[in-house]
Amino acid sequence: MNFSKRNQVWIVVALAIWLVIASLPVVWTAIISLRSYVDAFANPVKWTAPVTFENYRALWVDREFYKNFVNTAIVTLGTVSISLTVGCLAAYALARYRGALGFWLLLLALVFRALPHSTLLPSFFTMFDALGIRNTYIALIFVLVAINQPFTIWMLRSFFMNIPAELDEAAMVDGCTRFQAFRRVVIPVMWPGIVTTGLFSFLLAYNDFLLSSALTNAEKMTMPAAIANSISAESEALLMQGVAGAVSITLPLIILVVLFQRQIVSGLTQGAVKG
Amino acid sequence: MLLLMAVPLAMTFYFSLQQCALDLELVTVTQTGPFGSQAVVTQRARQDANGKPIERCEFIGFRHYERILGLDNDTTTSAAKNEAPNEFFAALKFTLTYIISTAPLVLAIGLLLALGVQRLSTRWRAVFITSALLPFIVTPVVAALSIKWLFRDNGLIPFLLSKIGVQVFWMAEAWSAQLLIVLYGVWHSVPFAFIVLFAGLQSVPQDSLEAATIDGASKWQRFIYVTLPHLAPLVVFVLLIHVMDAYRVFEPIVVLTQGAFTTSVQYLTYFVLLQENNPFKASAASVLTMAGIAVLLVPLLIKTYREQRGIA
Repeated sequence: MNFSKRNQVWIVVALAIWLVIASLPVVWTAIISLRSYVDAFANPVKWTAPVTFENYRALWVDREFYKNFVNTAIVTLGTVSISLTVGCLAAYALARYRGALGFWLLLLALVFRALPHSTLLPSFFTMFDALGIRNTYIALIFVLVAINQPFTIWMLRSFFMNIPAELDEAAMVDGCTRFQAFRRVVIPVMWPGIVTTGLFSFLLAYNDFLLSSALTNAEKMTMPAAIANSISAESEALLMQGVAGAVSITLPLIILVVLFQRQIVSGLTQGAVKG
Repeated sequence: MLLLMAVPLAMTFYFSLQQCALDLELVTVTQTGPFGSQAVVTQRARQDANGKPIERCEFIGFRHYERILGLDNDTTTSAAKNEAPNEFFAALKFTLTYIISTAPLVLAIGLLLALGVQRLSTRWRAVFITSALLPFIVTPVVAALSIKWLFRDNGLIPFLLSKIGVQVFWMAEAWSAQLLIVLYGVWHSVPFAFIVLFAGLQSVPQDSLEAATIDGASKWQRFIYVTLPHLAPLVVFVLLIHVMDAYRVFEPIVVLTQGAFTTSVQYLTYFVLLQENNPFKASAASVLTMAGIAVLLVPLLIKTYREQRGIA
């Protein structure tokens, strides 16, 4: 009895240590974002320092970070809505289609999922240059959707598989066309799955750095690409703006985790449990 | 009947178009890879519209591959190529090192956390899971930057380490920079492994565990013979996803070393494309990248294929 009690304590301690490790970079960044450069990187390290919002003001007002925020919003919303629309149609078809082809298409999707994003970059880069649409939102959204699609289809398919085919059949017996059955009956049942998949599409588009920094110029850049650009120039003011930017990017994500924790967890485990 | 068949087929066709977009790109990569030289790029941008730009290209065979693999001894190629003779192998070597060193740590820590959380009360579980998600969700660039700031001169970690007499300039040396990248990788990937394995633990058959207890199995034996076999498919799944994700390690390399000490295969393509401004050589790099992931994934794909067949 005593033994297992002590075990319990060790477990709690170990878990707590991991939580500290997991949150330390983010928390410390948040703390120093409220300091001036001298206080943020002082030697010896200062545990407390005067609070200032100067970094945020410099970033959002002087450097017009809100433009990057708007870019991120446009790109992210575009990516999520397009990939969900296409993904739902494709995944529904794959979930209901019984044939060898369906399996190969899924396997293909898995292979595409494995490809590093940069492998697509040279061809997209040249193609968009040739079409004159590099450095547009459309180009960026297009690539993000393409990259996102295999994953979306896999995930939505496993959600559709959970919905019995009898449901569509019943709707069709009652006089719906296939598409009506899909839109009026299946989609409403699917909402949780769509929300989960949408969240992951959101994360992919929101967190992307590689594509945004390669395909867009300064004024069209999303937030991550924009702050990374300010980092390589190691001036103190720019550095502190970067710190503030990092926190600004992370805050919406933290809110997202708190709001949608259950969907994220179910999304992560979905693929695993279903194979 | 026609409707039942036609609509899914039409949608499957639609799906195939979707993948075609990807397919097309891949085909373009293989085609343009060996062709052309830098002068052609500008030429292309000017004519564009609906013309076929390929006609302007010059066939140079596998020269880009040779360059990237460091096989060319051609003195007419520019000096820059001679500076980094083995770009691709260097990148591949680090990428593989990264995968091999992070994978066991990620799995081990993930499993330990999952087992630990299993012992908590339901309420604390929810709290822990929510906060443990953080590293997985945070934008990779931001996460890498945060770690850089932690380990920067006058940052928090060097300060704490100097208290116990360790002094390392983390960004200044190859081994420490690489260590940081590996640390970042572990930090970033553990939550995923943890959550998947934790979900797996929930479905461990309780009666088997009880039966084992009745048969006199110790805690350890129960773990080895009942729990672990149950988790095995999930471990494979986590490993598969981790290999895929680790293979495209990119952000920490940009942020932590700016490519000074280490490159990864994905960084190589990016660098060649944007810094050397040579899409054709970049294409060659990305074809090699694809070949790399293909080789890595073959065993796992075969396994998935067999399992799918077994189920269907």
